[in-house]
Amino acid sequence: MQNQSSGTIHAQGRHLHAAAIILISCVCGWFMMELEILGVRVLVPYFGSAVYVITGSVIGVFLLSLSVGYLLGGWLSNKINAWIELGLVMVAVGACFIAIPVIDEPVCTMIFNTGINEQWGSLLASLILFGVPTVLLGTVSPTVMHWLTTQASDSGFNAGLVLATSTITGFAGCIVAAFYLVLYSLRMTLCISGAIMMTLGAVVLVTFCWRYRNGGCR
Amino acid sequence: MNKSRRRILSICIFVFGLTGAVSTAAEPLGKVIYKKNSLYNSIFVYQNGSIVTMKFGRKSGVHLQSQVDLDNPQQHLLEYTRMAFCGLLYKPDPKTMLVLGLGGGVIPSQMRYYFPLMEIDVAEIDADVVPAATKYMGFKEDENLKVTVDDGRMFIKKQLRKKQIPKYDLIVLDAFNGDYIPFHLMTREFLDEVKGVLADDGVVIANVFFTFRLFDAEFKTFLSVFGRGQAFYGSYSGNAMIVSPGAKCDMLTPQKVLERAGQLQQKLSLSFDLTEVAKMLRPDAQPERKAKVLTDDLAPVNWLKEQETEEPSGKNP
Repeated sequence: MQNQSSGTIHAQGRHLHAAAIILISCVCGWFMMELEILGVRVLVPYFGSAVYVITGSVIGVFLLSLSVGYLLGGWLSNKINAWIELGLVMVAVGACFIAIPVIDEPVCTMIFNTGINEQWGSLLASLILFGVPTVLLGTVSPTVMHWLTTQASDSGFNAGLVLATSTITGFAGCIVAAFYLVLYSLRMTLCISGAIMMTLGAVVLVTFCWRYRNGGCR
Repeated sequence: MNKSRRRILSICIFVFGLTGAVSTAAEPLGKVIYKKNSLYNSIFVYQNGSIVTMKFGRKSGVHLQSQVDLDNPQQHLLEYTRMAFCGLLYKPDPKTMLVLGLGGGVIPSQMRYYFPLMEIDVAEIDADVVPAATKYMGFKEDENLKVTVDDGRMFIKKQLRKKQIPKYDLIVLDAFNGDYIPFHLMTREFLDEVKGVLADDGVVIANVFFTFRLFDAEFKTFLSVFGRGQAFYGSYSGNAMIVSPGAKCDMLTPQKVLERAGQLQQKLSLSFDLTEVAKMLRPDAQPERKAKVLTDDLAPVNWLKEQETEEPSGKNP
């Protein structure tokens, strides 16, 4: 009887953690798409609004960085505790968001002044400004999938669940950034988003440490 | 103008298109003689008798870019192309001109007609607009009239990068299509770059709609960069021309504007009455006090272009 009760409590805790870790992947999905939309606004004043700036440079760099992030996340998932990794990723991505408004002008101006054409110039600028945060955000999904999966037969369902929920919130982030955040200061939006990410990351890390000390964290 | 009249005018503008309400717009545009989905627009060219119209987008009646009468190419069918001549009132003898946004090429073509030796640069982002304007709208490039397929801001940035920076006597900012206004062509940083290629005695003009809050924001942005500015208000189209002169170019009183318009009318034998354009000047016009300067950081231009102005702010005819 006692064991059953303990098992129920454990299962409830497991469900709570699962919800929290899926929520983290959703938050990361939101901020990734927000960054992609705002990234266009960052680059256009320096490289123009030609199609290749938007489709080639921004979307291309995001896809490339995500693929690197997926690989990295998959590799890291067996080497580092998921909660520590997710917390650190969120703090680092938040810092990148805050850094973008500080470095965008010198980076883009320097690239433009080299005389490189807009196609390659915008691609390079996009890589420098958005590459690192997107790689980091790419590590989130494999990490979350790995944490959720306790037996092989669940892996497909977990992968589908993580991808679906993070993509839906990514869609929401895309819509909110494109339709509403455009009404506000780009720099302020990036800084506030970065601060939110850093705070959430810190909460994850602190919670992990607290639970680790009490012996209750996987 | 009361609010209901303003609303009706706004609706008319919406119906007749962003780049100029047309007296003939209510009539059928005729049959489609060319259409192409380019990277940036759905380009449609219509012909009705000798009247050829270029339109962007599929919605009926909206987004007219240009209209020409092939039998009488000097006739201005759209009010805003007549209004674009207001720059001549400040700089009557321009030697060089820059136009951002080609459309059907009416403004550069008309300027070329009256100033055969003027050097004209045009920047147009959509490569497919240029052959359409050339084939159907009577636009012609020549030795001194060159179109560069490039984003307007990039074109100016590249000019500024040259060792010998070209200076333009007249700069016309008209790079809009109906649905979308590129924010980076309306900001303080962009106008700072425009200032860099403007001759000291030159003048820069921008085509905007005065019934929407975007006008006030753009007017205020002009004042923040150039320090001075005046506006001409279209009599029926809703178009306004914001004019800012270079450092050595004078602001004009209504009397001076009329006087210069009369002189130019005689000198150039214009096909339209420039004094009518001169009368569109509202010297006391000011942007709304609450309007914000547009910057690369904050430029919600496509939202502002949907917001009607609440106060006339002294700009109504």
